[in-house]
Amino acid sequence: MITALARQPLGRLLRTPRAWLTGGAWCVLALGFAIVARSQQSSHGADHVLVGAYGALVLPLVAYVLVGATLGPRSLAASIAPLVSFGAPPGRAAAVSVGVAVVACTLVGALLASTVALVAHGEADPPLARDAFASAYAGGLGGAAYAAWFALGASLGKRGGGRSVLLVLDWVLGAAGGASALLTPRAHLRNLLGGTSPMDLPERASAAALVTLALVWILVAVRRAHPR
Amino acid sequence: MITLEAVAARRAPLTLASITLDWGPGVHAVVGTPADGGPLLLALVAGAARTRKGGILVLGADPTDAAVRVQVAFVPLRPALPDALRVGEVLEVAASVRGEPPRDPVTRLATLGVEALAARAVRDLSDAETRAVALAEATTSTRARVILVEEPLVGVDPRAEARLPLVLRGRARDGCAVVLATASLRDAGELADDHVLLRSGAIAGRAASPTTLAPFSPSGVRIRVVASDPRALLAALAAEGEVEAVARRETAVVARGRDTTALAEAVGRAVLASGVEVVEIRIEPPSLGEAGAASAGIAAATYEAARAQTRAGLASPSSRIPPPEGTP
Repeated sequence: MITALARQPLGRLLRTPRAWLTGGAWCVLALGFAIVARSQQSSHGADHVLVGAYGALVLPLVAYVLVGATLGPRSLAASIAPLVSFGAPPGRAAAVSVGVAVVACTLVGALLASTVALVAHGEADPPLARDAFASAYAGGLGGAAYAAWFALGASLGKRGGGRSVLLVLDWVLGAAGGASALLTPRAHLRNLLGGTSPMDLPERASAAALVTLALVWILVAVRRAHPR
Repeated sequence: MITLEAVAARRAPLTLASITLDWGPGVHAVVGTPADGGPLLLALVAGAARTRKGGILVLGADPTDAAVRVQVAFVPLRPALPDALRVGEVLEVAASVRGEPPRDPVTRLATLGVEALAARAVRDLSDAETRAVALAEATTSTRARVILVEEPLVGVDPRAEARLPLVLRGRARDGCAVVLATASLRDAGELADDHVLLRSGAIAGRAASPTTLAPFSPSGVRIRVVASDPRALLAALAAEGEVEAVARRETAVVARGRDTTALAEAVGRAVLASGVEVVEIRIEPPSLGEAGAASAGIAAATYEAARAQTRAGLASPSSRIPPPEGTP
């Protein structure tokens, strides 16, 4: 049944060219920053582009677009309503839809982060292969967390307007750096990518926080997704 | 198969109050406007809305039970289909979710004559085509034992509309409970075996056929005749004493009277007298308001008759129950 439930979100994701065009444009922007850093022979090129452009701007927006494409323009409950009308358990249908979004964002996040790290690699950056692997790990984790964050947003409001609200909230709270930043993916991702850490958390703690928060956000989104 | 016991529910601005019903296999109609609560009643049975009070059992369990959900097919007025898939893929997904063996989607769609839609993308379908696909899924599902349809003959692809009555009756014969919610007494009369009249969220009456309510409605019974010469028939009907009023509507003539049998006899005499050829003749179902008033009238008359009978029984010594033997 899981395969059947995944066909709708997968179909939305793969058959929505506009989403790929928008997401692709953000990816091109990140690569553009990386190419500029390389051409300027910046010694910390990868660090700068990953923290400044990729983590702060591109990944959240790519995840926002991919989650929107996977779940559709309305709420999570509305997104799974057709499957629920065939008798699918609402929780399972929602979990599968969110799962597809999480996997897509993880893959795109990891691939893009490692590509940026490779292209923008500077002399003072860590060894190339290690940097690419570490970036892929951070980007994948960040992509998954952002997918969960926006899935939670899609479960808020009749039309899923919470997605946009959480995008702004992540921007405002995550950039602040206080205790409230601990609740956003932005602050932890910045820490993993080598930027400033929220409340001086070590990287491992941020990674654990991202995993925990993502699971909680998914759980809340799935529980809220019952169409009744 | 479907039991509602003193069910109360609310979905703004609609409210249902103390609905008690018991439906088995067959085609059942809930007659009333959407504001009377028919769609909400279907949503309750489908497990898509919550009750405030009372209990609902569908196939012996709660309608939200996972095993029940896959056996209930609900087609609202605007059904939602997986918009990213093609029609054929939708039927494959639906079959997989319901746990049915895979079948050719084209064959399933052909049941309602819409097999040409199989390769179309759902997001390119018109509303009428979407409804036809949802109805094809519901009526051809081998797992669905409860089929709930809101306004079955409204906004449906014409190809499907023509075949739907037969298909629904076929499913009912197979042992399914088919429940229709409609504001059209004519649709209800053509499709269903029994009718529940809903008014303002409460049951106003029940009838085997809407036409049985006609004699009790304030405006009486109406018989509609389509004849070769409506003018001649109109003149002949006007001369009949049992006909209270007669009107011509394009090629049809509508006669109104108090008693169904007497009116039918009068129409028969008028047809013979005028020598016209009859193309169609039928009893016009009452309007929703008339049916509601008729149900209320029947209920009031039944109550008065029972009350009078009870009074007469109490007054007559012979009707008193004799005391048990051995009583001093």
